[in-house]
Amino acid sequence: MANLANLYDVSKCTACRGCQVACKNWNQLPAVIEPFKGNYQTHEDTNGDTFTIIKFFESEDPVDGLKWDFIKRNCMHCLDPECMKVCPKQAYTKTSWGATLHDPDKCIGCQYCAAACPFEIPKYRKREDVITKCTMCADRVEAGMQPACAATCPAGALTFGDRDELIQVAEARAKFLRANGFPRATIYGKLELGGLNNLYVLTDTPDKFGLPVNPKASGNVTFWQDWVQPYFGWLIPLMLTASATSFVTSRLIASKNGEHGEHGEGGHE
Amino acid sequence: MALIPEYRDDVPRVERFNWLARFSHWGHTVTFLLCLFTGLVLFLDGVNWLAAIFGGYRGAGLVHRVSAVGMTLVIGIGMVFGFKGIIEWIKDLLRFGMNDIIFVMKFPLEFLGFPVKIPPQTRFNGGEKGNSMVTPTCVFLLVLSGYIMWFPAIFPVGLVRVSYWTHDIAMIGATCMVCMHAYLGSFHPGSGESFWGMWKGTVRADWAQHHHAVWYEETYGDKKAE
Ligand code: HEM
Ligand code: HEM
Ligand code: SF4
Ligand code: SF4
Ligand code: SF4
Repeated sequence: MANLANLYDVSKCTACRGCQVACKNWNQLPAVIEPFKGNYQTHEDTNGDTFTIIKFFESEDPVDGLKWDFIKRNCMHCLDPECMKVCPKQAYTKTSWGATLHDPDKCIGCQYCAAACPFEIPKYRKREDVITKCTMCADRVEAGMQPACAATCPAGALTFGDRDELIQVAEARAKFLRANGFPRATIYGKLELGGLNNLYVLTDTPDKFGLPVNPKASGNVTFWQDWVQPYFGWLIPLMLTASATSFVTSRLIASKNGEHGEHGEGGHE
Repeated sequence: MALIPEYRDDVPRVERFNWLARFSHWGHTVTFLLCLFTGLVLFLDGVNWLAAIFGGYRGAGLVHRVSAVGMTLVIGIGMVFGFKGIIEWIKDLLRFGMNDIIFVMKFPLEFLGFPVKIPPQTRFNGGEKGNSMVTPTCVFLLVLSGYIMWFPAIFPVGLVRVSYWTHDIAMIGATCMVCMHAYLGSFHPGSGESFWGMWKGTVRADWAQHHHAVWYEETYGDKKAE
């Protein structure tokens, strides 16, 4: 099956946050009330009970003056997900159509995935000691519906569908924006990190929206998973074997030399 | 040949490790091994039978944390109340000299059981000095990285990522040392009495004089400081 993707177009979004409500509603997520921080953002970040949020960025640009940017954030459903590589319980799976699913029944709350994800998406739900994140509404999609956020968006900023088609739509839109007052407009998610199933049309460079310009798997995590875990551990059985060898040889040599019963008498000046 | 030499109280014995040192040593031995086997459950990815011993993966995680706190406490108590002993231990490690270098060079042969001549040793021989530096360093790194992994939310994500491989490498380092050390401290014929020094606190005087001549003379023998 072809990859299905969710395309979010910053230039069409009005920051109404209907998607946040729809997501809470469909996924039966309790409200999380956080103190007012002086801007329009509802929460510091996504959290154990909030799979998606609109993030707000205010900045002063010497040319453009005051800028007010916002962007919908949630799991990117990476084609080659880091979260899946580090999980010691294989709690992550990829669906045939591209969603990265997390099974809370397998999860043990070690939070490796939270630190490994280049987008810091998986979040810890303390009360159940598990990780949670956006499911791409796999239950809805497999029943022939759209994700709740995409279905609810009144501004048409979210489109769910075939990834290859959406990339063309996104590229055309970015080209249009570049010609119409947004010279730095670009798309995000086509090539980043080997490809994402969450695509963006951005009116400016990714860093203006808090997205890593060139997201990479952390070298520390790769070293841990690809070198330390598979190879370094073999030193332990090697040392055990050395001790077992000594157990045999030292006793053989001692009996050959006619030492009986007395331990450790030889050897020192 | 017996596994460990018979404990004899009909011969003169001298103290090697006081009560606190022994409490601390066996306390961190038990908690270290519990941490090790519960940690291997995750390190080895998918050893369900090992997890089952501790009541599943969540049970293993709980035992890992309880033992970790236990180990931290035991080591902490040993360091606070045995401060003088720790200082003496460090002072002995700093006496690393020619006799220790020769010990370490000849050790592979001695380890396999070949008769070799080794120069007089201080309280801790060259190998024990190495163990005394490498293993505690690894344990220190395990504790440090362990608490960071336990509470990742309060540390920068970069530090958490470093902790993951640090925890594993320190675990491998310490466990390799312990694989040799546990054997050398028990069933290795060349080590003789040393097990009783850690278990009962005393060793035979003639063994001490033979294996740790410098220490024996300075502590109990002719060169004893008054
Ligand atoms: C104060 C001491 C320690 C603390 C706080 C600590 C904490 C942790 C934590 C939080 C984890 C993550 C897995 C989980 O959530 O269960 C972990 C994993 C692990 N720990 Fe520890 N630990 C400590 C000492 C040790 C010791 C002494 C050993 C072994 C000698 C050890 C070996 C391991 C191993 C092998 C893993 C699995 C790592 C992996 O998945 O690659 N830990 N530890
Ligand atoms: C089950 C296994 C163990 C046995 C039989 C054992 C036995 C001993 C003995 C007999 C000594 C005294 C050696 C001497 O006369 O100087 C000793 C010392 C020591 N032990 Fe252990 N031990 C065990 C496990 C451990 C573990 C798990 C650790 C740490 C993680 C550890 C750390 C040390 C250290 C640092 C010393 C002092 C330095 C030295 O003598 O090498 N031991 N042990
Ligand atoms: S964004 Fe993070 S959590 Fe989502 S699939 Fe990618 S690595 Fe996994
Ligand atoms: S927290 Fe859960 S999903 Fe994440 S790596 Fe650990 S077991 Fe896997
Ligand atoms: S796809 Fe579903 S789970 Fe993900 S943000 Fe949208 S509504 Fe929430």
